[in-house]
Amino acid sequence: MIWDYFIYFAIVAIMLWAVGAFLAWKEKKAGVYASTLTGMAVFFTFIVIMWVTLERPPLRTMGETRLWYSFFLPLAGILVYSRWKYKWILSFSTMLAAVFICINIFKPEIHSKALMPALQSPWFAPHVIVYMFAYALLGAATLMALYQLFFKKGRSLERKEMDITDNLVNVGLAFLTFGMLFGAMWAKEAWGHYWSWDPKETWAAITWLAYLGYIHYRIYRPNSIKPALWVLLIAFILLQVCWWGINYLPSAQDSSVHTYTS
Amino acid sequence: MWVKPWTLKEGSLIGAGLIIAGLMLELSVGPVVWDAFSWPVNGIVLVGFLVMIAIMHLLRRQIYAFTFLSTYAAAIPAIAFAVILTLIMGLTRQTVNGTWINDMLSFWPFVLIYVYIAVIIGLAVLKRLGHFQWRRDIPFLLNHLGLFLALTCATLGNADMQRLKMITAVGEPEWRVIDENPQVKELDLAIELQQFIMEQYDDGSPKRFASEVNIMTKSGKNIHTTIDVNKPVEVEGWKIYQYGYDTAAGPQSQISIFELVRDPWLPLVYIGIGLMLAGALCMFVLSQNQRKPNANGQTRFAEVSPDSSNKRVTP
Repeated sequence: MIWDYFIYFAIVAIMLWAVGAFLAWKEKKAGVYASTLTGMAVFFTFIVIMWVTLERPPLRTMGETRLWYSFFLPLAGILVYSRWKYKWILSFSTMLAAVFICINIFKPEIHSKALMPALQSPWFAPHVIVYMFAYALLGAATLMALYQLFFKKGRSLERKEMDITDNLVNVGLAFLTFGMLFGAMWAKEAWGHYWSWDPKETWAAITWLAYLGYIHYRIYRPNSIKPALWVLLIAFILLQVCWWGINYLPSAQDSSVHTYTS
Repeated sequence: MWVKPWTLKEGSLIGAGLIIAGLMLELSVGPVVWDAFSWPVNGIVLVGFLVMIAIMHLLRRQIYAFTFLSTYAAAIPAIAFAVILTLIMGLTRQTVNGTWINDMLSFWPFVLIYVYIAVIIGLAVLKRLGHFQWRRDIPFLLNHLGLFLALTCATLGNADMQRLKMITAVGEPEWRVIDENPQVKELDLAIELQQFIMEQYDDGSPKRFASEVNIMTKSGKNIHTTIDVNKPVEVEGWKIYQYGYDTAAGPQSQISIFELVRDPWLPLVYIGIGLMLAGALCMFVLSQNQRKPNANGQTRFAEVSPDSSNKRVTP
């Protein structure tokens, strides 16, 4: 079973990402890119092998979506790094990716070949992959918010940091919109209606509106930073509920058509 | 309070006022009766709504509140209230026979807040059109117009949507359907099931459900096709979905159940969705170009948004 080998790919990838993050502090740019991208290549190799052996896109279970999230986080990190030379972002994205990889290692799921007919659609891969990329970007934005609220000393770089945060949220919301609307068009083909206020859809709307609120508030009060950052933290909690927390909500039990883990 | 220019405080009070008004409506007239909006009522309501927004826009210099409704100070609390109400919806069990927050879609405060958002978007779009600049305002227009169209048309068109079930048996043409009430009706098309197809994985879990059918219409069409899950077939405005089968018989099922869906407002909603997708693409592609702060230390947003708080114009 391919999943038994995940831990080896994961350890190698995390180590390469950690080396990349370390080299970022040392200002060794070439090493940062080489190490981080090699780590991503190793990790993506595992995703591809899994895709081939399962004979379906590895996007069905929660564990499989975490796999993509762990892959996209360093990607979001390296994009931020390459654009703004922000040296600590890779340390954070590596740590967050490691957390999600550890969940997959310590709480493994059964990854069978079965793909129920409702998921056999050309919309499946774009819908989930776009969402996972959005989640990773918004995760990176959350790291920026946490850093500014709790770790940063002094106020000298505020504008540059908010610039990065706003860009992450803008692009993150763009991908969130893609994911949501691809989902709507898929739902029309699969279930007969593009929006049914299924619990997953309701929470997708909540998350989308929360980030929309952030963007509008930033335009309205560009200099009022703290409340905006708190909105980001709350929005990220809502996003987590939408992604996996919903499985534990009494209100969503047995009523969601978005459950494919059985 | 209520000193011009109004801020988030006034915006929040207006939102709260709408929620109170909604609660009073819920108490006095009961939940929103969406079925009452079927054609032509929804068409008339849509035209009336658009005219109302246009009039509010034209009267914005006389009535300050109408100017205010196109600002961020109105939009942000409205979004916040929408988050809160939708959050309540996400935390409570929604049922067909529910009341108040257990049937949020017919709960007046919820409906009023979303209508309010549509009004705000409409006024913001009209205001932006007044000083339209191609490159600066295209993403704004795509996002806002798209959401306005999708939101209003999906809501108003819902009453015209028909979702019918048809139970077919092998070799017997069927033209009767069961609607949501549930009542039996006859359609202008018939489906004859030729064969129900079910494939399974090695572990017995379902791999494919499909029906090989002949579809006949009163207009004389005779279509031979296969209807799969995720691959509905469209005939004369009806989308026909594989819906169910005789689960007790499994692969040997001699019946197949179809859902027939007709949604005349779908093209408008899809135009809205298309605009939103284009807007999201613009946000992604253009977000880097607008990034640079300008000379007076404002962030990039001051450039792209003439109505930010620092620059708000009072009439």
